[in-house]
Amino acid sequence: MALKALDIYKMLPKKNCKECGYPTCLTFAMKLAAGKADADTCPYLDDATKQILRGATRPPIQLVKLGVGERSVPVGDEIVLFRHEKTFYHPPGILFSVSDLWEKERIVAAAERVMAEVFPRVGENLRFNGVAIRNESRNPEAFGKAVAAVEEVAEFPEVLISDSAEALASGLSFCGNYRPVIHAATLDNHEAVAPLAKRFGCPLVVRARDLGDLARLAKACTDLRVRDLILDPAPATLGEFLIRSTAIRKRAIDRSEPELGHPVYLDATACVPEEAAIVTGILKYAGVIVTSVLPPGTARMVLTLRQNIYTDPQKPIQMTPGLYRVGEPGPDSPVLATVNFSLTYFTLLGYLEASRIPCHLLIVDTEGFSVLTAVAAGKLSEKLIKESMERFQVAGQVKHRILIIPGYAAPLSGRIEEVTGWKVLVGPRDAADIGEFLEKEWVAKNQPAP
Amino acid sequence: MADVLPPADAGSIDLVTLGATRTEGGTRSVSYRIGGWDTLPFLAAPPAGVRSPLVALEICDDPRIWPQVVMRELGDLSGDTAAWAREAEKRFSADLVRLVLTSTRDRAFSDFPAIGRTVEAVLSATGLPLIIEGSSEAERDREVFQKCGEAGAGERLLLGTAEADRYRSVAAAALAYGHSVIAQSPIDINLAKQLNILLREIGVPHDRIVIDPYTGALGYGFEYSYSVMERIRDSALKGDRDLAMPMISQAPDSLTVKEVREAPPEWQRDIAIRWEFGFALSAAVAGADIVSVRHPESVRLLKTAFRSLSPVTPGGGGAGGA
Repeated sequence: MALKALDIYKMLPKKNCKECGYPTCLTFAMKLAAGKADADTCPYLDDATKQILRGATRPPIQLVKLGVGERSVPVGDEIVLFRHEKTFYHPPGILFSVSDLWEKERIVAAAERVMAEVFPRVGENLRFNGVAIRNESRNPEAFGKAVAAVEEVAEFPEVLISDSAEALASGLSFCGNYRPVIHAATLDNHEAVAPLAKRFGCPLVVRARDLGDLARLAKACTDLRVRDLILDPAPATLGEFLIRSTAIRKRAIDRSEPELGHPVYLDATACVPEEAAIVTGILKYAGVIVTSVLPPGTARMVLTLRQNIYTDPQKPIQMTPGLYRVGEPGPDSPVLATVNFSLTYFTLLGYLEASRIPCHLLIVDTEGFSVLTAVAAGKLSEKLIKESMERFQVAGQVKHRILIIPGYAAPLSGRIEEVTGWKVLVGPRDAADIGEFLEKEWVAKNQPAP
Repeated sequence: MADVLPPADAGSIDLVTLGATRTEGGTRSVSYRIGGWDTLPFLAAPPAGVRSPLVALEICDDPRIWPQVVMRELGDLSGDTAAWAREAEKRFSADLVRLVLTSTRDRAFSDFPAIGRTVEAVLSATGLPLIIEGSSEAERDREVFQKCGEAGAGERLLLGTAEADRYRSVAAAALAYGHSVIAQSPIDINLAKQLNILLREIGVPHDRIVIDPYTGALGYGFEYSYSVMERIRDSALKGDRDLAMPMISQAPDSLTVKEVREAPPEWQRDIAIRWEFGFALSAAVAGADIVSVRHPESVRLLKTAFRSLSPVTPGGGGAGGA
């Protein structure tokens, strides 16, 4: 049951000693209520009070770190059902799976790809997060060998997949110190598997088809002092995954079933088509997604989707204002001005590149507003255009004095001409039409007649 | 334990009927009812008589501006709008055909009677219900939509698109000939609501409106569209009648994004299809009742995905063995 900040405040020493790192006990209480602070940082609370506060103020979904070091992946610690309510914080780890039936070379190749492959995109380096090793041989020794093969190249999180405690122990003997995820403790084997997770301090996936069983299993493992748990609701179909994952997230967030307050695991390879499962997992609350070794199209698509969904929706993504070069523009190339809303920028850039007409692109600071909203809200003005042109020395780049503005900024055209002394051409409203516009209004008019 | 339904006092989505069979006054071999939901997508079996989500395959009457990756797939087919429509049904198994009248986008366009002939040809080539995407300029809208509306009279077409500054012509054609309207607004829940109110005020009933919240391609603003769709659906389920219409999503730039254009030739087709599949599936999960795509292979993948996402048991959940 969640406690309000004032209820928590009543339990605190009210000394305002700042030893917790917050200026007052009330601030600390508010942080605790929001799940953003830990009761243990107050040195004056007795154990019984700490116990109460921990239960009531811990994040609704536990933060679990997969792996160690630079490529470790924190998952969980989410607080909403929809990203528009706040944001999603921790993108799911996506791990390629290999089998201990494979030749060593094939296993190593998959691991090397996860190590090396990077897709830079909008200032981020997108990559896959690790490798899951399946004990398909049913043989503990073969499993250990496969884990060792991954270990040779891997400095990333791993998932060890087996229902045999003996096989898991064999794998853990090679990578146990690097916090691999153990998959899975079930109603049948948890008494043998949970102690392994406890011994190595690894995150443990618990797996059961019924959410009641899943909660009981999680409780049993917590009671055995396994700290980090992940839930596998064992869906038979993708539809079942969506329903169960949604139910788990709802119950965790409204704290109606605190034992379900852990990240969710999805084996996408068990679903058809697999890419549908990965997409659904990204959208609907998976914390760990195990996939096959993905072909390039699916690989790029799922990493891009994950980046999109885990972008903070309350922050319009902004481009740094400046004068950008598209292609290899010269002194006779057109100059286009637009806003610094990244969607506007990337859409326009796409069409400009497709047009193959080199140009100068002036991005002005409208605080991330789109053209339409920036004009309506007065963020885009002749003054801003003039200042930006001076600041980025547009006049020094070209011989002409013609500025192309977005179609929706047409109302500003007269005033821009007045303050800048440049001639203004009103471009199309839709970025898709920019290529045709430049052909007709720039290329055709600036070429000597044949 | 697995109850994920909203509370009983919540709202539901209006039903919209697309297409009319012979007994319903048209010539379609099937008609669909979309909407009707009182849960988020895929959390319960569809309401009685509802098929959703549906996959529309887009075709056009002037393929010069159509994505190369689709043209290559189609070969000669792209030059013949009627044959393209027939294959959309027979070979590609789309649920709907969306005819985009790209000819009207040409500056020199003036052959309005050709629009009527194209619509008639497509209607006789396929028995599927039809979505028609008309002109995108106010000056041409009246005549273009009038021709579409007339040629498809009684067929319960879905005509697009109405926007805040140009909705009268498409609405007039829909009202005159018994069609429905796509109401498109630029990724903003309030503007979507405002347009629905404008349409209502000129007499377009709720059950003849499908919301298009505008969809950016993956990596190009898709996250904004995704959340607007979730917000619209969430508001409707909480009882906002002016947002309680089914939704349609298309991300027309998907096949021409940089990732596709600059892909190595051997992977270009694969990347293009995934880019389209990714937005369309996500849109359906966010609440789109119709997703509209251009690559035939996207249709196949999406239909498999939707089958796979359908709840096994109505309102099904956690109980039951493997």
